[in-house]
Amino acid sequence: MSESGRPITEEEVHAYVDGRLDEDRGMGVSRYLQAHPEAAARVAAYGEQRQALRAAFEFLAAEPVPPSLDLSRLLEERLMRRPSSRWQLVAAVVAALWLGGIGGWLVGRRPPSGLDALAQEAAASYAVYVADKGRPVELAAEQRGDLVRWLTLRLNRPVVPPDLSAAGYRFLGGRLVATGRGAAALFVYESGAGSRLAVFLRPMGSEQSIPIEAADIGDSDGCIWIDNGVGYIVTGAEPYGQLLELSRQVRQQAQARS
Amino acid sequence: MSGVLASIEACVPALRRYAAVLLRNRQDADDMVHDTLVRALGSLHTRREEHEVRPWLFAIMHNLFVSQLRRTRAHASLEAAGELEGPPGGQEERLRWRDLVRALNNLPEEQRSVILLVSVEDLSYAEVARVLGIPIGTVMSRLARAREKLRLAGHGHEEARPNLRRVK
Repeated sequence: MSESGRPITEEEVHAYVDGRLDEDRGMGVSRYLQAHPEAAARVAAYGEQRQALRAAFEFLAAEPVPPSLDLSRLLEERLMRRPSSRWQLVAAVVAALWLGGIGGWLVGRRPPSGLDALAQEAAASYAVYVADKGRPVELAAEQRGDLVRWLTLRLNRPVVPPDLSAAGYRFLGGRLVATGRGAAALFVYESGAGSRLAVFLRPMGSEQSIPIEAADIGDSDGCIWIDNGVGYIVTGAEPYGQLLELSRQVRQQAQARS
Repeated sequence: MSGVLASIEACVPALRRYAAVLLRNRQDADDMVHDTLVRALGSLHTRREEHEVRPWLFAIMHNLFVSQLRRTRAHASLEAAGELEGPPGGQEERLRWRDLVRALNNLPEEQRSVILLVSVEDLSYAEVARVLGIPIGTVMSRLARAREKLRLAGHGHEEARPNLRRVK
């Protein structure tokens, strides 16, 4: 029995119209239709219908997307919305890290203002890493040399953990952090009472220098400033006055080195 | 590596189109797309391949659409939504467009979704089945019925349509 004589199923008719048959069966259907003008007319009608529907609604998809549906904006709103629990923030950040490059993707579009972005990044790092009881750092204090080399290489400038032992804070270690604006460094300290302190820093865009000011870092207080194009944040559970004093020490040490 | 986000973004125009045709109102449509995107961003942690993004987004939107229908007993409110505004064009084109949209709107909602997702949004039959949460055989039978109804209403059947019908 010839291929053109083999009847085609209703499902094949539609798959043919929608271009979803493989080449072999598509040719089989074509041959069948050549021999059966009535079926061919129906298939032609369906094909025209498909084209007519596509053409009729094309204008709806061709219009520019309104700002309210801009994905980078929706994502920013989502990340900036104050999470009601630390775990929500952790979940959001883990999602962001899993996607990798969210930040890079945002950067090409609508950069949030410099200090706000820095504060958001520090808040996320604080919530995810510093709050981790078991493993807050990637490289511990004993590997200080490796840590300094690693961070210096990735941030493209000398990055040295400040020494806060005189203020009663033991250096635990640090890590590289991914942000929307490239690599950042995180250093973690612990007081004798067990409370943790974070120093977060990364190269900034245009701003070269801004004096120390108060910053809202998630649930904690913090201090933020820019020196020589590098943004710093010191944050922890301590009262603001104490954070300010620690920030001055961090700043002095950095300035002494540069 | 922002592939998933880029894929989501690439789907926004199609989501707006599908929602506008279903809801017959641009503002309601964009509200629904907004809710769809917010939900999608909220479940980014579920690992998803890039090619799955389109059916996933349409499925989110379809669920929103269904629950909205349920909430508002909205077959009535859909009728009240009136008609979608067509593209600019000459009178002849506009009449033809309105004829087609009316014929589409005369289909049962379940058939309308299928024919739009297949013909306009170009989803595969398996993807449509996932979006609508129905077996693939049901997709095919709804598609067949929708196409046949439109054909009998004169679409994809130009010469058979008497010109007199357009003179009002």
